[in-house]
Amino acid sequence: MTSREPRGVIQLIPDACTVCMICVQECPSWCIAIDSHHEEVSEEGARRPRTVSVLDRFTIDFGLCMYCGICVDVCPFDALEWQPQHDYPAATRSGLEHDTDRLASHGSS
Amino acid sequence: MTEVREVPLTEWLRALDQARAAGFAMLDLITAVDRIGVVEVVAVLTNPDTAQRCRLTTRVPADQLAVPSASSVLDGASWHERETAEMFGIIFTGHPDPRPLILREAPASGVPPLRKASALTERVAREWPGTPSGDDLRRARRPQLPPGVRDEWMSEREPA
Ligand code: SF4
Ligand code: SF4
Repeated sequence: MTSREPRGVIQLIPDACTVCMICVQECPSWCIAIDSHHEEVSEEGARRPRTVSVLDRFTIDFGLCMYCGICVDVCPFDALEWQPQHDYPAATRSGLEHDTDRLASHGSS
Repeated sequence: MTEVREVPLTEWLRALDQARAAGFAMLDLITAVDRIGVVEVVAVLTNPDTAQRCRLTTRVPADQLAVPSASSVLDGASWHERETAEMFGIIFTGHPDPRPLILREAPASGVPPLRKASALTERVAREWPGTPSGDDLRRARRPQLPPGVRDEWMSEREPA
């Protein structure tokens, strides 16, 4: 990571996220929240079904985020990425809380 | 590149003055870091001609927080020291105007806000989003406290 990358908004790549909770626990502003549930998946040849975490909802509250980038740095699965887009005002306080879909839409395209 | 010099408290003013004379004429900031038991006072100076920086630190025992004021040596030290004084509970001796700068009133707990012993009440009142739940909670050997939150703060929390 370099300090030159554009810290506009954080993009979530939901398929890469394993719900490990590391970003939530490391965020100094406590502004990431994750809802998830467990599912059992049976794999061929496996003796027992495996329990996996499934992401239900991922939110970042950009009203609290201080753009430190710790979440992007610590994610072991590269599921969080900085994107340059920086103009996302909101008319209400809750409009600064970006949910899974909104976070995923902050692509570079 | 930032040059770093750690100096004994007795050398603090002389070291600042030497740095200033050596070209580090602009004071960027004075602040402090609570190292628990010891408070480190930090001054960052810039050489306006070369843009090089110099960081000076001195360590003060937490029960004897008196540091000679740098305002006689560096113009502009006054405000930084006023803020550092109220945030860390340091007395800058010989300061020309030791009024608080930012805090309207002293914290009710009596602990200066940037000392590590100062409880982050928001963090006690709010539930940590990282709290393990469900299976993860059952798997956790002991309740996990959020980073930076101390046991003794939580004891005052109403049981859920
Ligand atoms: S950038 Fe920092 S404050 Fe913002 S969500 Fe990530 S860890 Fe939290
Ligand atoms: S650290 Fe990465 S993989 Fe883990 S929960 Fe956060 S975004 Fe998902």
